[in-house]
Amino acid sequence: MMRAGRRRGDRRRLGPRWLDPHGRHLGTWAFVANRLTGLGLVVYLYLHLVILSTLLRGPEAWDGLVELFRRPVFLAFDVLLVAGLAFHGFNGLRVALVGSGLLVDRHKALLVAAGVLVGLVTLVAAVRIVG
Amino acid sequence: MATRTEEDFTEATRWRRRPRPTFAWLAQVVSGVLLLVLLTVHMVAQHFVVEGGLRTYADVVAWIRNPVVFAVEALLLVCVTWHGIAGVHAILLDLGLRGRAERIVARVLLDLAVATILYGLWLLYMLAFRG
Repeated sequence: MMRAGRRRGDRRRLGPRWLDPHGRHLGTWAFVANRLTGLGLVVYLYLHLVILSTLLRGPEAWDGLVELFRRPVFLAFDVLLVAGLAFHGFNGLRVALVGSGLLVDRHKALLVAAGVLVGLVTLVAAVRIVG
Repeated sequence: MATRTEEDFTEATRWRRRPRPTFAWLAQVVSGVLLLVLLTVHMVAQHFVVEGGLRTYADVVAWIRNPVVFAVEALLLVCVTWHGIAGVHAILLDLGLRGRAERIVARVLLDLAVATILYGLWLLYMLAFRG
């Protein structure tokens, strides 16, 4: 079950093995997507802190910014953000369970469940944000 | 199926075999699960519990002044920063970062995490008590 993940000589390859698309399975794509959404969310965390810092400049600066963020392009970004958060959260929970040795034989069902939940959360968010 | 299980499980847990794996893995799982709860509270409370959502400067300051909200936001800040920075560190290890360079990067990431948390707490304090 725990065969070595890194084959001999892999370290000499260009780039990380998790970005190598050859011979990948669904679960591996989920693993790659988890890292990419994670990186995106870290970037958003700092963007969020920068935006929230506008509050220090008082009501006028903040309220003007909120008006700007009500434009459709920013609302679409909000939906994308919720989708990324939902995927990273639900898939991360799956990785935590499987990585801890729980429900290992059900990992594919867990992935499907995570996908359904991501879809539902994103749909609700889209309706609430855009609607 | 057997192949897929092996592939997925191997990929998902590969980083557990890094130096000091148990603490990194556990911390990521614990902070991740906490984030699922805290982020849900963060988003649902601000967008659904508050009528019309938090929009104006006055709304935000009044919201942050609630001691429970202040505590939840502070805990969220610590968890999200730890989880994000540790995730970036894991990816850098995967890119093959080792030895002295790894120690320097780890130190920089730790300093960045501390700075992020201190700045976030200062921002919360300024808004709650000086806003």
